[in-house]
Amino acid sequence: MEFRKIGIVGGGSMGRSIAEKLASSGIEVAVLELSAEQAAASRAALEAALDAELAKWGLTVSEKKVLLSRVKFGTDRAALADADLAIESVNENLAAKTAVVRMLGELLPAERVIITNTSTLSITEIAAASGRPAHVIGMHFMYPVPKSPIVEVVRGRETSDATLAVARGLAEALGKSPIEVFEYPGYVVTRAMIPFLNEAMHIVMEGVATAEDIDRALALGYDFKMGPLEYSDRVGLDKVLGWMEHLFRELGELKYRPAPLLRQLVRAGHLGRKSGRGFFLWKHGERAGSAMRVAR
Amino acid sequence: MRVLVLNCGSSSVKYQLVETSRERIARADDLVLARGAVERIGSGSAVHTFQRGAEPKSTETKEILEHRGAVAEILRRLADPELGVVRDPSEIAAVGHRVVHGGERFSASVVIDSDVERGIEDCVELAPLHNPHNLRGLRAARAVLGGVPHVAVFDTAFHQTVPPYAYMYGLPYALYKRHAIRRYGFHGTSHRYVAWRSEALLGRPREQTKLITCHLGAGASVCAIDHGRSIDTSMGFTPLEGLLMGTRSGDLDPSLVFHILHAEDLDEYQLTAMLNKHSGLYGLSGVSGDMREILAEEAKGHERAKLAVDTFCYRLRKYIGSYMAALGGLDALIFTGGIGENSAVIRQRTLAGLEGLGIELDAAANEAAGRGEARISTPGSRHAVLVIPTNEELLIARDTVRLVEPAASHAG
Repeated sequence: MEFRKIGIVGGGSMGRSIAEKLASSGIEVAVLELSAEQAAASRAALEAALDAELAKWGLTVSEKKVLLSRVKFGTDRAALADADLAIESVNENLAAKTAVVRMLGELLPAERVIITNTSTLSITEIAAASGRPAHVIGMHFMYPVPKSPIVEVVRGRETSDATLAVARGLAEALGKSPIEVFEYPGYVVTRAMIPFLNEAMHIVMEGVATAEDIDRALALGYDFKMGPLEYSDRVGLDKVLGWMEHLFRELGELKYRPAPLLRQLVRAGHLGRKSGRGFFLWKHGERAGSAMRVAR
Repeated sequence: MRVLVLNCGSSSVKYQLVETSRERIARADDLVLARGAVERIGSGSAVHTFQRGAEPKSTETKEILEHRGAVAEILRRLADPELGVVRDPSEIAAVGHRVVHGGERFSASVVIDSDVERGIEDCVELAPLHNPHNLRGLRAARAVLGGVPHVAVFDTAFHQTVPPYAYMYGLPYALYKRHAIRRYGFHGTSHRYVAWRSEALLGRPREQTKLITCHLGAGASVCAIDHGRSIDTSMGFTPLEGLLMGTRSGDLDPSLVFHILHAEDLDEYQLTAMLNKHSGLYGLSGVSGDMREILAEEAKGHERAKLAVDTFCYRLRKYIGSYMAALGGLDALIFTGGIGENSAVIRQRTLAGLEGLGIELDAAANEAAGRGEARISTPGSRHAVLVIPTNEELLIARDTVRLVEPAASHAG
């Protein structure tokens, strides 16, 4: 199937990142936002992301122009009505996602596919709200979407084979290798990642080593791009806490129980990169020093 | 016979419809009936530019989602009852395709069958930026124009006569065996075309001459042609090697790649884009990748524009000198391509100081040259300097005729 135009609900960092990848693959994108202010802010943030890529020579000025011209941010849901498919990309919150999928179910023609971009939630539960669960499927894109080579494609209980084929087709059109996953809390990536992040947080909490050294050891020792604590700071500690709580609730195993230190940081408003402080200090989106005292 | 020449890029199809035949080739009176381009394929607003003969260009915007749609649109326009040039697409007797990479398998143009198509596909690994699009266009055209022969003309084919000591890199030989890593060279159709045209200006068949041909456009390469055969060329495994280009770096110390990767914290994609799209004239000048704009800025005193032009001319001069040594002599130096054909000042600055090597430019003839073939060296110059506008499409059309029309002949 050819993808000409795709609608996205929610222009947050994930929604924008998906929009950027779609646009650079030649697809027109309509992003639906709650307010005109939000739409303007999201557009400005996309432009800033493109400028950052331009500064790294990954993009030319004319490519940036073409790319921006393909993405329209707005508040009128009618702009999504003629899309080949729609992607829900609002906060990782069941009620919010359900509401969006219900709206899309009413807005789009009956056979159009609705993709929900979630890292942990139940596709079956979200799909039920649409009134046509056969056409709903999960795609867990990894951030930053333009750089990440994989995407988890998650079938809900009622997802049809035809819908799966569309999602796989989209993954391939974007040059990503699809990892097919049957619905189970956390799928593959998040489920395997969470205990790893959690354990690193426990190590800091127990005063075994500094956050810097833990990250350095794991990043250099296992050839990861960055350590688990920096990764958590970049994702947002509130978001990481949300994943852990969800998995702990769904699976009931202690390995998913959030480290008390994480809970404490979130309560203090230290959410990582976006708030300027988490396991590390952050300035202008870059790491700017140590934020943790060693416990002993 | 009417030959449709297609040049397919990622989101564009450029084309010419040429009336030609063996007799017309012999008389050199092939005729371009129409030319045009469909650009921004894949969008709701693809642009189709069309020109019949020497009439003014016209432009149409419409939705064209893939290459097959673009080829159908081209045929529709060519056969338009009022504005077209044929009554019916069936008047098109053959299609000639530009294909960037033919690897080591294709040393000449060839009629396309499924085996050739597979061969072109095998070369995708060598030219991932170009061959997939050429292939997509080729398949689209074969689907739409199934009843006529299709011919592939390769950018690399002309350079398949380059000897191993000139095409090998000083790398472990296993890389050549495992991944076909060697120098291939590009712009072969253009170098071959101007070498052929030089016969008329020099009054000698190219089998008796030593030539250096400089194709200077947004991409640029130099070729050493000994008795009609390419013996060396400046582009290598990819079109990134060699001269300074519009936005490409040209020759580089390979260690720099890793140094830059770490120093600037880039990923491979960003580094590749930097070398191909942010370097060369554009990267040095900060003005543009277009020589005309850089020269205009230089005239206003822009120092980096001057640096870019000086670097461009200097590197070209070095290649000319080294190819004179490679050839062991020279009969003519030929300029072609957008810059080579149109910029007297670049020709003059490149050749300044080469009088001692027997290259003397006639300033007036150099200034006067433009829009046609010309000799721009002084009568006393030991080596001739020529300007010859390139015409790759014409050569593609002619190769197509030679492969498709029976009877033996060997002009062009």
